[in-house]
Amino acid sequence: MTTTPTTPTTGTGARHLLLDPGMDLTLRPMRYPHFFDRFRDAIKNTWTVEEVDLHSDLADLARLSPAERHLVSRLVAFFATGDTIVANNLVLNLYQHVNSPEGRLYLSRQLFEEAVHVQFYLNLLDTYVPDEKERFEAFAAIENIPSIRRKAEFCFRWIDSVFELRELRTRQDRRAFLLNLICFAACIEGLFFYGAFAYVYFLRSRGLLNGLASGTNWVFRDESMHMAFAFDVVDTVRAEEPDLFDAELQQQVRDMLAEAVECEVQFAADLLEQGVSGMSLADMREYLQHVADRRLVTLGIAPLYGSRNPFGFMELQDVQELSNFFERRVSAYQVGVTGSVSFDDDF
Amino acid sequence: MTVVQERPTSGPDGPEQRRQAMRVRKRNGDAEPVDVNKIVRAVERWVADLDEVDPLRVATRTVSGLYDGTTIAELDKLSIQTAAELIGEEPQYSKLAARLLAASVDREVRGQGVASFSQAIRYGHGLGLVGDDTAAFVDRHARRLDDAVDPAGDLRFEYFGLRTVADRYLLRHPDSRLVVETPQYWLLRVACGLSETPDEAVDLYRLMSSLAYLPSSPTLFNSGTRHTQMSSCFLVDSPRDELDSIYERYHQVARLSKFSGGIGISWSRVRGRGALIRGTNGRSNGIVPFLKTLDAGVAAVNQGGRRKGAACVYLEPWHPDVEEFLELRDNTGEDARRTHNLNLANWLPDEFMRRVEADGDWSLVDPSDAPELPDLYGEEFDAAYRVAEKKAVRTVRARDLYGRMMRTLAQTGNGWMTFKDAANRLSNQTGAPGNTIHLSNLCTEILEVNSDTETAVCNLGSINLGAHVTTDGVDWEKLRATVRTAVVFLDRVIDINYYPAAQAAASNPRWRPVGLGLMGLQDAFFTLRLPFDSAGARELSTRVQEEILLTALETSAGLAERFGPHPAYAETRAAAGHLHPDLWGAEPTQRERWTALRATIAAHGLRNSLLVAIAPTATIASIAGCYECIEPQVSNLFKRETMSGEFLQVNTYLVRELRARGLWTPQIRDRIKRAEGSVQGITELPADVRELFRTAWELPQRALIDLATARAPYVDQSQSLNLFMSAPTIGKLSSMYLYAWKSGLKTTYYLRSRPATRIQQATVAVTPTTGVDPVVADAEALACSLENPESCEACQ
Repeated sequence: MTTTPTTPTTGTGARHLLLDPGMDLTLRPMRYPHFFDRFRDAIKNTWTVEEVDLHSDLADLARLSPAERHLVSRLVAFFATGDTIVANNLVLNLYQHVNSPEGRLYLSRQLFEEAVHVQFYLNLLDTYVPDEKERFEAFAAIENIPSIRRKAEFCFRWIDSVFELRELRTRQDRRAFLLNLICFAACIEGLFFYGAFAYVYFLRSRGLLNGLASGTNWVFRDESMHMAFAFDVVDTVRAEEPDLFDAELQQQVRDMLAEAVECEVQFAADLLEQGVSGMSLADMREYLQHVADRRLVTLGIAPLYGSRNPFGFMELQDVQELSNFFERRVSAYQVGVTGSVSFDDDF
Repeated sequence: MTVVQERPTSGPDGPEQRRQAMRVRKRNGDAEPVDVNKIVRAVERWVADLDEVDPLRVATRTVSGLYDGTTIAELDKLSIQTAAELIGEEPQYSKLAARLLAASVDREVRGQGVASFSQAIRYGHGLGLVGDDTAAFVDRHARRLDDAVDPAGDLRFEYFGLRTVADRYLLRHPDSRLVVETPQYWLLRVACGLSETPDEAVDLYRLMSSLAYLPSSPTLFNSGTRHTQMSSCFLVDSPRDELDSIYERYHQVARLSKFSGGIGISWSRVRGRGALIRGTNGRSNGIVPFLKTLDAGVAAVNQGGRRKGAACVYLEPWHPDVEEFLELRDNTGEDARRTHNLNLANWLPDEFMRRVEADGDWSLVDPSDAPELPDLYGEEFDAAYRVAEKKAVRTVRARDLYGRMMRTLAQTGNGWMTFKDAANRLSNQTGAPGNTIHLSNLCTEILEVNSDTETAVCNLGSINLGAHVTTDGVDWEKLRATVRTAVVFLDRVIDINYYPAAQAAASNPRWRPVGLGLMGLQDAFFTLRLPFDSAGARELSTRVQEEILLTALETSAGLAERFGPHPAYAETRAAAGHLHPDLWGAEPTQRERWTALRATIAAHGLRNSLLVAIAPTATIASIAGCYECIEPQVSNLFKRETMSGEFLQVNTYLVRELRARGLWTPQIRDRIKRAEGSVQGITELPADVRELFRTAWELPQRALIDLATARAPYVDQSQSLNLFMSAPTIGKLSSMYLYAWKSGLKTTYYLRSRPATRIQQATVAVTPTTGVDPVVADAEALACSLENPESCEACQ
């Protein structure tokens, strides 16, 4: 182990940091091969919306209780716009400042994935909400539904916080950028989406909405990688410029997560307002606090809450899946398999 | 264990305060405060033999999920769910959840005024669910049958099994959707549907209720009901090369599918893209658009709401559209040329594999130019194919096509490799010229002859080997008794079955094939502490299989003595004195019994042309609570995804082992979860224990193939042999499947692989990535990529 940060250099030997302004085009020598690996792994996870079979969901929707239906309609309304917001930030802010061609390869891939997620939720809403007027309302959730509006405003504020920055010249610029990156990874993908996934998995553990759950599984798998990439960028910057990470930044991250938890709790209060057996608001709050703590610990920052995961069903998404193809389409395959025919490989 | 989860109270509306205000609505509409002790008492009723279960823990966790005004029914459901969610920590909670569920099902049935088995049958008959014959049979023997119900029967279920039964197997009221029979009534109803006397019914019921044997799902769904379609598999010959025949097949497939059958259908006779259509002087669009229609048809038919329809299309590799066929399951490309619901299998003549090995050319031939090819195998096929090659549409390198097959397997798990020549050469049904096996079924374990007018049918059942093994070894007498009972009832199905298509009704009475399989092989290995790839495991599995085939043949010969041989007996290899092990040149160990059997067969023939097939048992193994068929465990900790929901499964043999060593701790559980169910990193366990508990991903796949080959002489149809590879490459796969072919296997099934990356785990501890460690790793990767451009993945 060494504590000396690496100082990557370009092919010509000049010192060059990840957040230094510019449009680096040099892939060889590769400065951040781990970004490239993530790009390759992401390609293996390619899936398409057409593979998700939603038809059994319609029967389930018909037998949901009014309280559960309220939960589902709010949830899909959030999904309808959530990924678009993330994609916007990626284009407007992240792509510009992560100055590494291999890092930008990953971001390009992520952008594609966000687009697939948007398409998936679009398809989902078109399927779930046959009434056109209701459907339009769902897509306008940001205007109509206060609990969703509050989350969106939180996101927009952080998009705007760095929007004016064309280049990260100063220490202050870079810290602002890091906060934006951490916000999208830890708070939006890492908490808002994680909260939303908990509802989906809750329903799934009750045998409801398999189609939503299988698509969400794939979305979730992608989002996990997005988050991991963002944290990888944070770690890389931290290694290159350790002085950016002072107590003030840590406090800002903690405040940001606390606010994100509050945003998500008020969303939960709306979703669960009619009472859903097996998912109390108190448990949901504890779950969100627990997730926020995990994000902080990952970033090397002291946790805020000390809360535990109250949801036994979340264990289900941590273990290998085994589907019976008679029952469900199997989702555990990868694309982009390599190699050529040979007869003496080990197996 | 008295760990009660402590929760921090956070804020003014923290859980503690809320809990005090919590009320529950009773069935009569009154509200009363939630009483934890009441839930504790309800749980305590069921835990006498479950010493690791903590009723208070279940009760407090249940209460924490409640909202104010929850109904009693919701509370019941929630307590079951809560118990089920603790299975990952302590497998005994599975039994508890199952018992709470059984109690809830029981209440539901009793609530409709049903107090006994015969009442349930009468009620079900009145609702139009139970068939007339079964209702009359039960009415005649009501007391005898009512007395046979084992009140302790439900205690044997694990949660996942009973949940599956309750959600999908029990008969439901057509309007209220309430279940109208208990799990034990269900098994007794299934037994009565297959029996001629009450003694027979009670015998079969006891065997099933002990979970030592279960018939396949269609029998469990439909026996004793008004639609007694009890066969699992249908093998439909390729449509003839004309439109009417193709549309007739759609209709046939839809009918077979509607009544729970799984479909295998060949498409090798239909001309490829670009072939001339004389009637219109146009060019054919090939098989893909027709398969797209089949795909939609299969998806539209829902098997009584219980499971989705499913079909597998078989194609021979000389068909000109074979490359497009291999792309049908890809997730990119034009959706009009993709079939997301169909399974795909390659039906491969040896000649193809030989050319792959020799790196030769391979000719693609249009079936309209060589219509005889699907009906030929072995040397006759080789000769006809070489002639047909002169009219080849195209020639490709055999290895390129084989490589594409491997790619399809790796990317979709589909495109199963099944071997036409071995399947035909080693079959009892191909004794007479003109009888050809044209394909296998949906799960690649059934191999039966069929034709344009005869659709092959098979009824299946599986022995739970785990229930026939103790630490002292196999209970051979019990195993024989189970086989005898199983064969008699599988044979019985043939006569009382409802055939949804005339082609099926034409075939089954002539050949009377059945498929007796087994499940729980992994349980037997764990109990006897045999690593899956050990010589002892291979020997045990082979001897078990010999015993099963031998006893099955003895039973079938006995049936022939009473009822005569099956009508097509003269066309079988057995009629000429060649039994299945002879076809393989195998040396059985039980010489005297085989000799006696030959004499009986010579005198009376066989009632059934085929007897043994090892089916995947996905659902019935869940019901029986054992590992699937002949498969190794996929993980020590995993979830099952089904239409009923997701279910955590934990290896109870491992838990016992860890507990005995004081190692079943939250930390170890976390490590196993983090390692996706592997214990190879748990170095506190001795090496031999870790070896025993390897997962399918950690076993050499050669061993799975060797085990399958060793038992194959005693499997007269075939085996659903899944193979497992976490990160498949074309090189590994091509080596593996060539080995499988050379070993002489008739069929293989899914290639199981794993996603490239996974969802971030939410319930294992996180560690900070402080930026120190990754730098080291990155620096190494950087160095590697610069110094070793060839060997580093990043550069390729």
